[in-house]
Amino acid sequence: MKQRAYIVNTGIITAIGNNTPSCLDALLHSRTGIGEAEYLQTYWSKELPVAEVKASNASLAAMTDTNSLWPRTALLSAIAVKEAWQPFADKATGLRVGFFSATTVGGMDLTEQVYKTFKEDSNAADFDKIKNHECGAITELVANHFGISDFVTTISTACSSAANSIMMAAQMIGNGMLDIAIAGGADSLSRFTLNGFNTLMILDKQPCQPFDNNRRGLNLGEGAAYILLMSEKAMQQCGATASCMVSGYANANDAYHQTASSPDGTGNKLAMGNALKVANLQPADIDYINLHGTGTANNDSSEGKAIETLFGSNVPMASSTKAYTGHTLAAAGAVEAVFSVLSIQHGIVYPNLRWQTQMEDVGFMPVTTLQTGLDIRHVLSNSFGFGGNCSSLVFSKC
Amino acid sequence: MELYITGTGIVSGAGNTGDDGFLKQEPSYHADKLLCVEPNYTAYIPPMQLRRMSKAVRIGIGASKMAMASAGIEKPDAIAVGTAMGCLADTEVFLGKMIAQDEQMLTPTAFIQSTHNTVSGQIALLAGCYGHNHTYVQRGHSFEHAIINTQLYLTENSNQQMLVGGIDELTDGSLAALQIGGINRKENSTPADVLNGNHTGCIAGEGAAFFTVTNTKPAQRAVCIKDVYAFTEKDVTKAANKIDNYVSAIHIHADAVILGLNGDEKSNAFYQFLQNSVFNQIPQYAFKQLCGEYATASAFALGMFASIIAKNEMLPSHSALNKEATELKNVLLINHYMHYYSCWWLQVV
Repeated sequence: MKQRAYIVNTGIITAIGNNTPSCLDALLHSRTGIGEAEYLQTYWSKELPVAEVKASNASLAAMTDTNSLWPRTALLSAIAVKEAWQPFADKATGLRVGFFSATTVGGMDLTEQVYKTFKEDSNAADFDKIKNHECGAITELVANHFGISDFVTTISTACSSAANSIMMAAQMIGNGMLDIAIAGGADSLSRFTLNGFNTLMILDKQPCQPFDNNRRGLNLGEGAAYILLMSEKAMQQCGATASCMVSGYANANDAYHQTASSPDGTGNKLAMGNALKVANLQPADIDYINLHGTGTANNDSSEGKAIETLFGSNVPMASSTKAYTGHTLAAAGAVEAVFSVLSIQHGIVYPNLRWQTQMEDVGFMPVTTLQTGLDIRHVLSNSFGFGGNCSSLVFSKC
Repeated sequence: MELYITGTGIVSGAGNTGDDGFLKQEPSYHADKLLCVEPNYTAYIPPMQLRRMSKAVRIGIGASKMAMASAGIEKPDAIAVGTAMGCLADTEVFLGKMIAQDEQMLTPTAFIQSTHNTVSGQIALLAGCYGHNHTYVQRGHSFEHAIINTQLYLTENSNQQMLVGGIDELTDGSLAALQIGGINRKENSTPADVLNGNHTGCIAGEGAAFFTVTNTKPAQRAVCIKDVYAFTEKDVTKAANKIDNYVSAIHIHADAVILGLNGDEKSNAFYQFLQNSVFNQIPQYAFKQLCGEYATASAFALGMFASIIAKNEMLPSHSALNKEATELKNVLLINHYMHYYSCWWLQVV
């Protein structure tokens, strides 16, 4: 018998807020985080808007009493972990605690500062800026800071990374391998990722318009988010209560192209359909879909078609929140998991910001005004990425 | 945990499983790195695609195809990959150009192939595998976590064949960084330096080792992964005690122990305790003199064992440290990479 993975708390930092209440407030008031880069030093700062957390590394470090010389991804991660974990950290004695993080950028923000010197003379470069380059080093810094050691892992499956870390955490609680899991992901902006996405010509030079017929691409964002999962036993010991749980998950591969989605969203369909199966739900049971909805021509078309195949003419309320937070890459699945939890807790569905024109190849339209007073029982959240990686999660009210 | 290995493919500095002479010869070198001896890929990868692949992708695809071929399957149901560093060469190409060209006039190819999930994505793409697809990047536990993921997946999807592997490539840049970090040795090493040395760091390595795995017992002789105990520990004495306690707790008679001994002064005390105290009566073998030191080297060691069992052979004599095993039923594989440790309980069934 599988144990349930209850969601007892959340932690988040994105361009729209430094914690869960401030992000919720921005969502309720349609405040976007997308604008000109102030902290990311790039040739493209005037041309390519980003959803940046408006704080220096020193201010981020001060929020958790960490080291400002850490990679920015680790600083963001620590802030979101602290919010989710701190209320329960001293109540978990004797329980097995896991930390499941995700990142694609690792310590690249520091590596790119010294790489030129390093290549010319490896001994001349500041090694402190290279030593935490590995993705796993980011997770290790944060795990050590909070004294978590029972199980610590990092997943890197591009834009679906955090969804996969939540999936694995739910499985390990489900199988009784852990009692508590802090699961999500973190990615800071870096010149490497901004330029990489720019070469693919999928960045919008204006604030993005997901699921709009005239969409132009995505805006990169940065942030970190984690959900705190507990077994029933851990909840009792920690005096925790849960509003919802991870009821379904699935990971599939599109096997179509290294960076593009198949036109009919083969992998997307498999991920959504299998997540519903794991949750033992029918499509009609889903009240809200938090779309991957990056704003690229390719993603939104494939995702929309896959949803129509699965849901037919009864597509539930759906919206992308990337017009608020930008695409936070390895954090996206967790940022949107937190938003899904808030949707269930508060009975709300967020408007898909800046939507103007119905897509020609997709029949349903996203929610465009804030919906309140709803009974949201089941939310489906999608995260699709490079390498054909497609993951979907289902969150259900307890 | 009961995971049965049905197929193995290795591309390593010690050779590859496409070669009949793999592991037959005693290693001989005086070098600062052991780069992969790559197979002829024509049987595995179309030439047009091969030209575009970085070494990480090439050795990963090559090893995975060899594993699938030895298991007699064309595509797995699911894939999990462990890689500490990901596709470093393409990362460095894009990073170098980005800096040299001040972020302008860049092309996407290297960026596309730089993501950590490129190998698992490319395997799925080439095989047409729509199943579960995961990539773990937790330093010295990257491969161990891919194995735990395999267990989780097969628990929910019994009777399927999952492909799981560990892969890391070495670049000039990573070698320099790992030497500064004291993980890899700056000076040239011989196999004896790895087995008996007391240096700063170990000879650098790289490699890919892939496995097809199922949770139902196969008809033929196979290696079963009974358990993987993975932990991090900064203190080598405490790490050795943890292994000692674990070995007592699982209560088995080990026929042999395969050690990640690497001649590094930082970890010698750990292995000395195991060799002289915990396992002093048991045949001991080493593997890092074959493949070098890298974060997913435990995949090489597992592959070395699984491939000799599949061929009804014994562990190579040249890798024996004290005496040779006469029987291989229960075998322990103990590895470390920095402060990441793992102890594998393997059983021949």
